[in-house]
Amino acid sequence: MFSAFFTLMQYEIKITLRLAYSWLTPLLFFVIVVSLFPFAVGPDPILLLKIAPGILWVSALLAILISIDHLFRDDAQTGYLDLLLLSPHPLSLLMLSKIFAHWLTHCLPLIIISPLLGFLLHLPANEEYALVMSLLLGTPVLILLGAIGAALVVGIRSHGLLLPILIMPLYVPVLIFGTGALMAASLNQPINGYLAIMAVLLLLSLAFAPFLTGMALRIGVNQ
Amino acid sequence: MTTQLRIDQLQFERQDEIILQQINVALHASEILQIWGANGSGKSTLLRIIAGFIEPHAGSIQWRNQSIFCQLDTYQQQLRYLGHQNGVKPSLTVYENLCLYSALTASRINSRILNQVLDHMNLQSLSQTPTRYLSAGQLRRLSLAKLLLNPAPLWILDEPLTALDSEGQDFFKAALLNHLSTEGIAIIATHHLDLTLSTQTLHLGTLSSHV
Repeated sequence: MFSAFFTLMQYEIKITLRLAYSWLTPLLFFVIVVSLFPFAVGPDPILLLKIAPGILWVSALLAILISIDHLFRDDAQTGYLDLLLLSPHPLSLLMLSKIFAHWLTHCLPLIIISPLLGFLLHLPANEEYALVMSLLLGTPVLILLGAIGAALVVGIRSHGLLLPILIMPLYVPVLIFGTGALMAASLNQPINGYLAIMAVLLLLSLAFAPFLTGMALRIGVNQ
Repeated sequence: MTTQLRIDQLQFERQDEIILQQINVALHASEILQIWGANGSGKSTLLRIIAGFIEPHAGSIQWRNQSIFCQLDTYQQQLRYLGHQNGVKPSLTVYENLCLYSALTASRINSRILNQVLDHMNLQSLSQTPTRYLSAGQLRRLSLAKLLLNPAPLWILDEPLTALDSEGQDFFKAALLNHLSTEGIAIIATHHLDLTLSTQTLHLGTLSSHV
């Protein structure tokens, strides 16, 4: 059972790495959007420092939102999803495997490059730490919740903004606590409380999202 | 001889329009049901219903005397479904696709059987080619190769012979006969197969079933 989990994850990662645009698109989007802000609002370090948490988190959130649409779309078009649905292995395990592979290939590069972008916005070291930690805990939640939405709309041919409208409300708590952690760090307050709440969100979505994604997929694929 | 798969009074609607009605089938071991019908007559939908992807609005489908929707997991382990799409990952090679497929269906990858199947379907020379470079016929061969990877009593095939050359069709017919000789059942929607092979036909649209 777990060999299927790792085999599927290994192939998912392999596929994404072979299609460079797939994992480069959210990364480049994140870099471009964040680096546009100093041009737009001016290079004033105090102002940039003040709005940095919002800029970084909103850009990361939108970059992930762009990538999440591809989680099941290609698989549905090639008929590969049918194989997943027919597999004797638990569907939620297979979903978790796909979601984890997606996080590794689409979010981890983004997290790795985020301190560099923080540097661009004059973040001090303790805020850089808060940024990386909050992204590490928050981005898996975004992917897990996004997967449910992506599975629901997979059968709809041109869904346009349906997916963002569906899942954006669910993203708000993550955004609030993510930016909250950075703002607390900027005031030299402890951030552990924020991180703990984000860890709770992660554990909750980890427990329910793969199962719900599987259920949504069974419905979505027959639309 | 006991009935393996029985469909009673099956009816399916989509947006208040009846797509399928009065479908009655009884299939025994070593039988083929061939489904005929014009384009849009509901062949693919019927196959997806029989595979358990969609629930019908009325009627029942029983596998070994129990409704398939009460035993969906066990039932789906015993069937191999091949839709009109091939279900292959374009950026993986032929060999990798088969490895991935066997990981999804069986618990471990048996490279000996895998190579046998590749030889059998004449795909050995393409085994390291990414499948996006394959022709439609070669892709079809690959998806038929998946059927042979691990045996299952029920095959549900949607136009399996599309795009296959005569050699590929012969391979498929040989595999089908072999499947029947091991008491397998096949449900095939196709216009290509000659009727001598199939034991039952179902005409969709005209709604007549004869043996």
